[in-house]
Amino acid sequence: MQDQIAVFISTELLKDPTRKIAFDEPLISSGLVDSFSLVDLALFIEETFDVRIDDTELTAEVFDTIEELAALISARSTS
Amino acid sequence: MTLIHILIFTLLVSALVLTASQRWRRWSLFIISLVSVYWLQPAVSLRQFSFWFPTASIGLTVIAWLVTRHRERGLSREDLTALLFTALLPLLLSLSRFLPEGWQLTASRPPSIYLVVIVGSILVILGFVGEWLAKWSRLMSVLLGVVVIGVFIVLKIETLSVWTSSLLRGVTGQSRNLAASTDLYWLGFSYIALRLLHVLRDYQSGRLPAVSFLDFLTFVLFFPAITAGPIDRVEKFSSKMQNAVAPTASEYLTGARRIVLGVFQKFVLADGLAIIALNSTNVAMTRSVPWLWVLVFAFSLRLYFDFSGYTDVAVGIGQISGIQLPENFDRPYFKTNIGTFWNSWHMTLANWFRAYVFNPLTRALRKGRLKMNSALIILIGQLVTMTLIGLWHGVTWNFVLWGLWHAVGLFIHNRWAVFLNARRDRIPSAFYTSKAMRAVSLVLTFNFVALGWVWFALPSVQMSWETLIRMFGGIR
Repeated sequence: MQDQIAVFISTELLKDPTRKIAFDEPLISSGLVDSFSLVDLALFIEETFDVRIDDTELTAEVFDTIEELAALISARSTS
Repeated sequence: MTLIHILIFTLLVSALVLTASQRWRRWSLFIISLVSVYWLQPAVSLRQFSFWFPTASIGLTVIAWLVTRHRERGLSREDLTALLFTALLPLLLSLSRFLPEGWQLTASRPPSIYLVVIVGSILVILGFVGEWLAKWSRLMSVLLGVVVIGVFIVLKIETLSVWTSSLLRGVTGQSRNLAASTDLYWLGFSYIALRLLHVLRDYQSGRLPAVSFLDFLTFVLFFPAITAGPIDRVEKFSSKMQNAVAPTASEYLTGARRIVLGVFQKFVLADGLAIIALNSTNVAMTRSVPWLWVLVFAFSLRLYFDFSGYTDVAVGIGQISGIQLPENFDRPYFKTNIGTFWNSWHMTLANWFRAYVFNPLTRALRKGRLKMNSALIILIGQLVTMTLIGLWHGVTWNFVLWGLWHAVGLFIHNRWAVFLNARRDRIPSAFYTSKAMRAVSLVLTFNFVALGWVWFALPSVQMSWETLIRMFGGIR
């Protein structure tokens, strides 16, 4: 799951497939993923993992790294 | 908050550290918050409105809770006790009109108890009607949202404020000719409105958790944050209330240090800089171009110290009372692009608008039938969001232009990032990460923001435009 998210971020959002993103690298607080791309990320998560990330949850406080995002998805898909 | 307010709040919550158990801590924070709504409201020319504005703030919050509460949980004993206290407080305060002048908690003598009882009874009847119409609570939440936005618009548009004040002066029996927009100085309404809208919106989308009456009222009216934020989220605030324990000695010291630092920033640095900060008088008296730049930079720093100092005081008081409020600033003038500036300036406001305007709008445009290219969606999202952020500060063309200034800045930055990204093979990455490049970016970002304040600080579009022209050597 984490790989899938990392590939999506580097190829689709950053348009740079060579860019390796560490699973614990800050995405939002560092400005790597801007607010527009965050909505795209939420849509991708929704389509791929069938888990809804709400508009109010697209903040660094809810998740800032791929690890945290994956944990959020896992928690939601099991519940 | 004045220095007296800050001092008394600090002493009050310090006393809580020694005495209160977790339960009493919650109750104390609730009671202090409710009483402070009256105490913090400054005097207004409209007779008795330094009593009615706070009462209306509390009334709206109570109605919002009644509409959005989880009915299946019923009303707990605590809810009922807190409701009773909330209802008795205005009655108690209205009795203070018999005390000698200057002994009242409100800025002017409160209305007679009969009037308070009549208004209170009408509210109670409305409350029962609301309970009776419980199956339409979704519709009621929409109507309440419309009321909140309506009041907000009346308070922020000068013509409407004057018209409303004139109407109210008819009721209070005061001269209508003296009606002014300053009559409607309703403390904290801009922030109360955003908190209530967040709750109503989350209720409509089914995300609002069950929150007790006591925690809900304290969330909306929390005394350190009622005047100027930060804007927390209700689920976070209520869980902090549920777990509010006395701070440890080191937490207490951190909070106290924060208050002192905030007071220094707000009352020494910001107030000192105010003398040379951009305003309509200073700009009219300044002939030289370099001095105009000094005025603009001084304004930029003054605004930051004022607001960030205020936030420090609010967060500090929160810390020593056992409630950690969210941060509002993260060194905003040291950012290297306008996007990260907006991640670090008035963060809780920016997050609110992201959550309730930018994200839903972008999502809708992205998923909509109309296939738009992403640049256009970004442009629309930024224009709408930043214009609304501008209008939240005040409904004037100057605030609209300030919002648009930032929307255009954010859009240009986004396109520039895409442009550079497409050419990353030709430009070595060391170029971007070099110290020189960072310094240039920082100076550019700061100056862009500072020039934006020219729209924000001055009262008319013409004056702002002339100032900007003069700053670049143009002749007035």
